[in-house]
Amino acid sequence: MVETLAGIVGERGVVSRPHELLMYQADALPTHKSEPKLAVFPRTRDELIAVVRALAAAGRPFVPRGAGTGLSSGALASGDAVIIGLNRLNRILAIDAVDRLAIVEPGVVNAALTRAAAPHHLHYAPDPSSQSACTIGGNVAENAGGPHCLKYGVTLNHVVELKVVLPDGTLVTLGNADGEDAGYDLLGAFVGSEGCFGIAYEITVKLTPDPQAVRTLLADFLSIDDGARAVSAIIASGILPAALEMMDGPTIRAVEDSVYAAGYPRDAAAVLLIELDGLEAGLEADVTRVEGICRECGARGVRTARDAAERAKLWQGRKKAFGAMGRIASALMVQDAVIPRTKLPEIMRQVQDIAARHRITVCNVFHAGDGNLHPNVPYDGDDPDEVARVDAAMREIMRACVDAGGTITGEHGVGLDKVGYMEMIFSPESLEAQCRLRDVFDPARRANPAKVVPVRSCREWTMAPAARA
Amino acid sequence: MPRVDDGAGGARVSTQAIAERVREAGARHTPLRIVGAGTWLDGLRLMPADAQPLSVASERGIVEYTPGDLTLTARAGTSLAEIAHATAAHGQWLTLDPHGSDDGTIGATVATASWGPLAHAFGTPRDLVLGLEAVTGDGTIIRTGGRVVKNVAGFDLTRLFTGSWGTLAVITEVTVRLRARPEAEETIAIAVRDDAPEPLAALLAQIRAANAAPMALELLSPAIAARLGAGASTVILARLGGNAESVRAQRAALAAVSSVTTLGDDIWRALRAAEPPQAWVQRLSGRPSRLPALWGTARDCCAKVSGAYAHATVSRGVVRLVFPDALKFKEVKDDALDFLGYVGIVERVGRAGEFGLKFPTFHSDLARRARAAFDPHRILNSEAA
Repeated sequence: MVETLAGIVGERGVVSRPHELLMYQADALPTHKSEPKLAVFPRTRDELIAVVRALAAAGRPFVPRGAGTGLSSGALASGDAVIIGLNRLNRILAIDAVDRLAIVEPGVVNAALTRAAAPHHLHYAPDPSSQSACTIGGNVAENAGGPHCLKYGVTLNHVVELKVVLPDGTLVTLGNADGEDAGYDLLGAFVGSEGCFGIAYEITVKLTPDPQAVRTLLADFLSIDDGARAVSAIIASGILPAALEMMDGPTIRAVEDSVYAAGYPRDAAAVLLIELDGLEAGLEADVTRVEGICRECGARGVRTARDAAERAKLWQGRKKAFGAMGRIASALMVQDAVIPRTKLPEIMRQVQDIAARHRITVCNVFHAGDGNLHPNVPYDGDDPDEVARVDAAMREIMRACVDAGGTITGEHGVGLDKVGYMEMIFSPESLEAQCRLRDVFDPARRANPAKVVPVRSCREWTMAPAARA
Repeated sequence: MPRVDDGAGGARVSTQAIAERVREAGARHTPLRIVGAGTWLDGLRLMPADAQPLSVASERGIVEYTPGDLTLTARAGTSLAEIAHATAAHGQWLTLDPHGSDDGTIGATVATASWGPLAHAFGTPRDLVLGLEAVTGDGTIIRTGGRVVKNVAGFDLTRLFTGSWGTLAVITEVTVRLRARPEAEETIAIAVRDDAPEPLAALLAQIRAANAAPMALELLSPAIAARLGAGASTVILARLGGNAESVRAQRAALAAVSSVTTLGDDIWRALRAAEPPQAWVQRLSGRPSRLPALWGTARDCCAKVSGAYAHATVSRGVVRLVFPDALKFKEVKDDALDFLGYVGIVERVGRAGEFGLKFPTFHSDLARRARAAFDPHRILNSEAA
């Protein structure tokens, strides 16, 4: 296989030596590791298609991988699976400023697209915290979110057309950038399929006009409860902030101790980072209202960034919070769950209780406006007792979120890490139906095998219903 | 609170009854025609003569609505009017306003992925549906998605079933995202002095560059504008929202582009209701920048037929040609050549419509595989052979 692939992409595009493959044994989540046997890095779409076809001919499974910044261990390859690295397919093919569309290859870095669109006063709206490194192809695979998705929507809401090579090597176009698409929404089904349905080699996304005006506020609270109540009250008020983020005390202190110090009050129990944007006219009135809501809910202070530099500093602390936590301990568990927004105060209390019971530190930094929690736990990965306690606490937190009517992942994906939680939210029948959808795109189940849906859920849909009972 | 997805055993009795009927029909190979309020008729396709109606009309009512969460779960047969009434009491709305009557059901709206003028700012069912309960063609009760506003758990059957016209599953329950109604609203008519492609393109560019963020922006042909009391020539309706200061400023910004007139907000309901139940609707689309050229052709086509009109959601590049009935549509069938190069979708067929139309794009290999996977006996809303 090495020779076959080298014949397509050149010898330098195939990695097979164990020490060179080490960096592909994990993504940004440290809890799972698996050393691949082979990785291939096509430079052009033709090479990519040839690689997929060669793997299909050999019946080899494969795992698509972008920048490796994922947080669900979705880009890990085990057994015979070959990693297909897509980061060399990094050309922006077109920017159409009139119809506000961009056509990109999958390896284009999220922030690079926004930079390229900036001269047209446009940007690419989904903004995961890893946007300076993560790729649009990875964003499509994960249906990535980000702070500004509260107002502007997640990746799904911004993708209009995909050119895809299916696992068997067939080329298909999903969606349509030149008018409506009248068939089944296979584009919608593909976005968020975590590399299990094929590889998008050409991606057409919407670009969003830059807002006329932006205000960024920092509200600080002496209790998490007060902050959580403020979030619920802002959402209920009818004002839709561009972003509404919460950071708790441990997170604030981790950030302030790091090179990303943003000037957050170190003694606060929680801060809310609130961004309001849109038309200049009327924006100040919304700012005043949000400020009032925060104060009514017990905010000690609310300040507004005076200029772009101060705004950037406030955001840097938030976006680099995961990195800042890296200073505290050798490993960091990054979690991702969603709850109905009115349940936020109650769930935050439960998370504190669970953390105390298992003697772990939880750093909460999350998209509060969407109810999308990220309880993160810095811990010593070499201490089996602590690892076990982190694991148990995470499961309890998930259980609490699901019991509150929520879900097990809002933007990081299921990957390998959350497969075990899928049965918490879906019945066996519902999971089996998801397998049927996977089989529409990949009946041989060679693309990113064993991810997303527990393998035991996937019975053959060709069996008669009676046989499946 | 119990798990949202309790499986077949946890589903309500009425869902189980639907599943039983689907299983029986599958065993006998009897085609089923899924019916909500019955206003969408044959769902664009010719049904086999022996198709049995499967009604979800009795699946009515709001299951869960916590205003602070801005989400709502309703049984599929719940009318859009009922949802509008319940949410209005809390200053909220479901921003789906498909053309036709508000007596239409949420299930049909999702099954057909129908949308109206508010899609300009708020998107289509794909953007607003969070989860479903459904019965697949082999009689399995499943749940897709969830009830929260952000969710990437599992493969996305919600998107697959939304807009699948009931050919993959019978939708029995829908969870949607709501929005807060803005503090202030105003609807204005923006005068279009000349709707020839070039001047129209220039006007639309100016509107787009103006400091306004309308919730809807809809272009109306003279026939429908006159019928709605919005003048006797082509006009653009803009629905403005925000706080009072914002709405005032947006109006002023658009008034600097062209002359504007304030209209009552009820014009939106009137526009949607103008479409008679027996209408034939042809939808045409392309990139939004091509809309001015498409508009000229569409307007000329409609002008030939008495009672026909056109309107367009400019930001989506979509024009709808509304003909009062099938015979009227037939008069301009030959004009189809003028629309080559655009995507044409026959959206709605009247009761008299029998031209043997097929809904072409469910015929890709992937679509065929999806159909076989979820409706193995081909009994759900299936076309006549």
